[in-house]
Amino acid sequence: TALRKETWCKPIFSVDIHPDGTKFATGGQGQDSGKVVIWNMSPVLQEDDEKDENIPKMLCQMDNHLACVNCVRWSNSGMYLASGGDDKLIMVWKRATYIGPSTVFGSSGKLANVEQWRCVSILRNHSGDVMDVAWSPHDAWLASCSVDNTVVIWNAVKFPEILATLRGHSGLVKGLTWDPVGKYIASQADDRSLKVWRTLDWQLETSITKPFDECGGTTHVLRLSWSPDGHYLVSAHAMNNSGPTAQIIEREGWKTNMDFVGHRKAVTVVKFNPKIFKKKQKNGSSTKPSCPYCCCAVGSKDRSLSVWVTFVAECERDLLWVMTLNGLGILVCSMDGSVAFLDFSQDELGDPLSEEEKSRIHQSTYGKSLAIMTEAQLSTAVIENPEMLKYQRRQQQQQLDQKSASTRETGSATSVAGVVNGESLEDIRKNLLKKQVETRTADGRRRITPLCIAQLDTGDFSTAFFNSIPLSGSLAGTMLSSHSSPQLLPLDSSTPNSFGASKPCTEPVVAASARPAGDSVNKDSMNATSTPAALSPSVLTTPSKIEPMKALDSRFTERSKATPGAPALTSVTPTAMERLKEQNLVKELRPRDLLESSSDSDDKVPLTKPSSLSKRKLELEVETVEKKKKGRPRKDSRLMPVSLSVQSPATLTAEKEAMCLSAPALALKLPIPGPQRAFTLQVSSDPSMYIEVENEVTVVGGVKLSRLKCNREGKEWETVLTSRILTAAGSCDVVCVACEKRMLSVFSTCGRRLLSPILLPSPISTLHCTGSYVMALTAAATLSVWDVHRQVVVVKEESLHSILAGSDMTVSQILLTQHGIPVMNLSDGKAYCFNPSLSTWNLVSDKQDSLAQCADFRSSLPSQDAMLCSGPLAIIQGRTSNSGRQAARLFSVPHVVQQETTLAYLENQVAAALTLQSSHEYRHWLLLYARYLVNEGFEYRLREICKDLLGPVHYSTGSQWESTVVGLRKRELLKELLPVIGQNIRFQRLFTECQEQLDILRDK
Amino acid sequence: MAKVSVLNVAVLENPSPFYSPFRFEISFECSEALADDLEWKIIYVGSAESEEFDQILDSVLVGPVPAGRHMFVFQADAPNPSLIPETDAVGVTVVLITCTYHGQEFIRVGYYVNNEYLNPELRENPPMKPDFSQLQRNILASNPRVTRFHINWDNNTDRLEAIENQDPSLGCGLPLSCTPIKGLGLPGCCIPGLLPENSMDCI
Repeated sequence: TALRKETWCKPIFSVDIHPDGTKFATGGQGQDSGKVVIWNMSPVLQEDDEKDENIPKMLCQMDNHLACVNCVRWSNSGMYLASGGDDKLIMVWKRATYIGPSTVFGSSGKLANVEQWRCVSILRNHSGDVMDVAWSPHDAWLASCSVDNTVVIWNAVKFPEILATLRGHSGLVKGLTWDPVGKYIASQADDRSLKVWRTLDWQLETSITKPFDECGGTTHVLRLSWSPDGHYLVSAHAMNNSGPTAQIIEREGWKTNMDFVGHRKAVTVVKFNPKIFKKKQKNGSSTKPSCPYCCCAVGSKDRSLSVWVTFVAECERDLLWVMTLNGLGILVCSMDGSVAFLDFSQDELGDPLSEEEKSRIHQSTYGKSLAIMTEAQLSTAVIENPEMLKYQRRQQQQQLDQKSASTRETGSATSVAGVVNGESLEDIRKNLLKKQVETRTADGRRRITPLCIAQLDTGDFSTAFFNSIPLSGSLAGTMLSSHSSPQLLPLDSSTPNSFGASKPCTEPVVAASARPAGDSVNKDSMNATSTPAALSPSVLTTPSKIEPMKALDSRFTERSKATPGAPALTSVTPTAMERLKEQNLVKELRPRDLLESSSDSDDKVPLTKPSSLSKRKLELEVETVEKKKKGRPRKDSRLMPVSLSVQSPATLTAEKEAMCLSAPALALKLPIPGPQRAFTLQVSSDPSMYIEVENEVTVVGGVKLSRLKCNREGKEWETVLTSRILTAAGSCDVVCVACEKRMLSVFSTCGRRLLSPILLPSPISTLHCTGSYVMALTAAATLSVWDVHRQVVVVKEESLHSILAGSDMTVSQILLTQHGIPVMNLSDGKAYCFNPSLSTWNLVSDKQDSLAQCADFRSSLPSQDAMLCSGPLAIIQGRTSNSGRQAARLFSVPHVVQQETTLAYLENQVAAALTLQSSHEYRHWLLLYARYLVNEGFEYRLREICKDLLGPVHYSTGSQWESTVVGLRKRELLKELLPVIGQNIRFQRLFTECQEQLDILRDK
Repeated sequence: MAKVSVLNVAVLENPSPFYSPFRFEISFECSEALADDLEWKIIYVGSAESEEFDQILDSVLVGPVPAGRHMFVFQADAPNPSLIPETDAVGVTVVLITCTYHGQEFIRVGYYVNNEYLNPELRENPPMKPDFSQLQRNILASNPRVTRFHINWDNNTDRLEAIENQDPSLGCGLPLSCTPIKGLGLPGCCIPGLLPENSMDCI
């Protein structure tokens, strides 16, 4: 028996050997945190390896635990290591394979961690110190016990899901062991009981108290163990006639007739060798193997360890605390910070049986273990419904197809090692400064988005997203104003000429136009500072000339007094000062710039007045799309995005000095289009439709008349109005114009007046048409929408006050959906639509919404192009969905959080599509949501959806149920949902229910 | 263990004229996505005598930081010579790169910097008033001095909970990350936040 010691100064509370026997882990107290260390086994086994300096002894140290680590346990597969500590946490570790040995920066080349083990899950639930953790056979579950008197069963397939919390102990739970067959788990606690729980329903099977009656709660741990053949459970710390024992509990009837006696103090730990042994007959010629038997080690507070073979023992003496057996050796750790290794010869213990032989013993004794049924094994569940079977088969076929497709693809794909987006790391480094995304936060600070050069090998995300995309965050406002217009609709090449002549008429001062100016100043300053860097160094000073000075040395280690807080403000640096000045300058420049530009000639206009220009473009564009829709399904919705700015009092005062002193009124004022001599407005190009306005063309009897001309595919009509026309709008159904004296007139496509002039409450700011809906936004920031065909009001003089609460907020874009729902996109990235039935402004989109960035439902997307669902919601929110891309950032976030955010996001989307009455998008998001519910197994919500879609099967008068939702028949939607539901065998009952009831309805 | 560890700092364009901006290419690894930005600073020590002459050349926020390895170039303008004592213009000083999370400094990378005249004549007879335009800055890039500090990486709410759950007799007054150490006499439960985790491994 060889014995060697690894010394360590702090207590070690747990040790566990990796299943492959090449390494072992220890857990205990570190410097000022808990510490887990993974050690190399070979220096322990071989004296030569111990002396060889090239063979590392320590493989990895993890000091993530905030407090003492009480237990470390390898999973049966050896893939994971679980550790539990006084910080109430359980951490699950996995080896990161992508990085080899690494040095610690600044540590002069000394190897730090030979292997990289990373925490892949942190399990938080216990309210007290975690005392023991245990992996179930097959690694399906992880159990943990704590001084909070509970045992928690975690789903090891889906951390951090909790499958069960076993309550029943009335004292600190200090040890856990799984039945090797997986039917039971046993726990031992300070309450003088040992409890056995069933894994089938997580209920108590038995509670054994008698052998523990005399026990006092004096042990730190109570590590019990189950024999690998499953026959015996051996407890820690039992008493028999006032003597400390390890109680043997028979599986058969939980009898407690035998115990291990001999220790002088309490038994703290029992550990069976995971192998089953058999002994060859030594002297006989016929090698008749004896009965298989198990081997067990018992450790006690009397500082001794005994090893028992088939319960006939020989005694070893050593300090011990916790141990694990692996094959023929035992590792023992102790409070004195040492780990001892005990090596047994095969003669002493016998020959271990192979795993197959072991499982054969299990099978012959207990039959096939049904207790452990993981999610994957659910597939063996009986399918009760033939339709269900059909969907299951189809799904399997699809998976096969996908698999073969993906293997084909990966065949040609290059490996990504050391290459990011097709660039080598060297290329990236060369251009990093140019490429890295640098922005400014709201308070003017520099913010750099780091380039992600490697993903952590967590295994949770198969796809690597390399380029970090900045979260919209505080920048959303700026980004929106520059992005929204071009992003919405691409410019049609045929249109620019037609509006080139049209004069922009809205008043200047657009917040958006000032921002690019600010940006360019920043860029300039950047460029300026980077130029001197080009100077080449001439003479290289030798480092030896640099003599360290003691006064300076201290600066390396001591935290500077200047650093905490916001030093950029307290100690004024020249750069900060300049930057501040620049910003002030930009601010000062804004009004002047704009005033100048507004007085400039037309050719400068596109630069300074993007809003008015884009408005024209967009109107044209929208109508183009609108016409195209006839004959075939719409590619785009009939929407009219318009950029305009709403002037808040703040900007107004800046602009008009006369108003400077007046107290900022609460009233919002929107820009008013000024009167023009004449203008042309292209409504659409296919079919070509444009409106021409000529103001005060003729004078009849002292009255000046203005002419409105409309040309639609060559057919022209014209009419006259008595006052000057300020703005016009048109759709395929109506043409409307707003005149001076707050008059609004509406004409049919043939020029027939549909309504007597409408008197607006205040001068017009923006006019809009979609289909038969006319929307007027007045200078007083009130909004009205009418349906001129049905001659009803949809939105009545609704104020924008509630959504423009902030003084700096501007409306960056307006939409009117084909259902007459107005949507306001604001400069802060939020978009509100007015819900006429509730008379409320509803938030339908928020660029800063973190949910959108966290939600990950890629797995629920039916195909790649499924994201390209067009409609008002897509236009408001922007096409590029963040799904998944941002989710990749969260891959260390617990799955539950991910689920919650995804659910919340999808629900938001469904609700927003409903509010916008966008049936196409509603269907899209509802299906996506349902698919996610199915994939993740959320039954209640799924059931509720199905119930609502199905409605009452039998007619009842009191029913409030509507058979349609946003023009879609609910039961048709349910039929679409059925195949989705059928994909998860868990929901086969729900599937069958819905299908049967739909059948009943069909037969009626 | 820190959630963020610095893998490497490469000193770019070194040596360079005094007025050139500092450029450091910083690679770091993050073990768990960070909720908030990291704040990096470059501090130029104007004089060994006093921290008064420290200049924060620049500070940047770096984020978002998901789990993984990342890199960026931190560029900052040269120090303002008018804030450097004339006697300290030529010779050895220090430049520090610090990183803070939630206002807590967790790493400090320091380099010796030598400023000297290239022109041998000037070197022999340095002018009374230093001519910064003639100075060359040489950062001793091969010898970074790294100091790491323990900080609380979790958000404040967790911290508060930790306080509440702690045994009042033990927990009160102690820093949050300092949980009682089991089985030890606790020889002066030191304030971990203020002690270097591993005091500089240099040559």
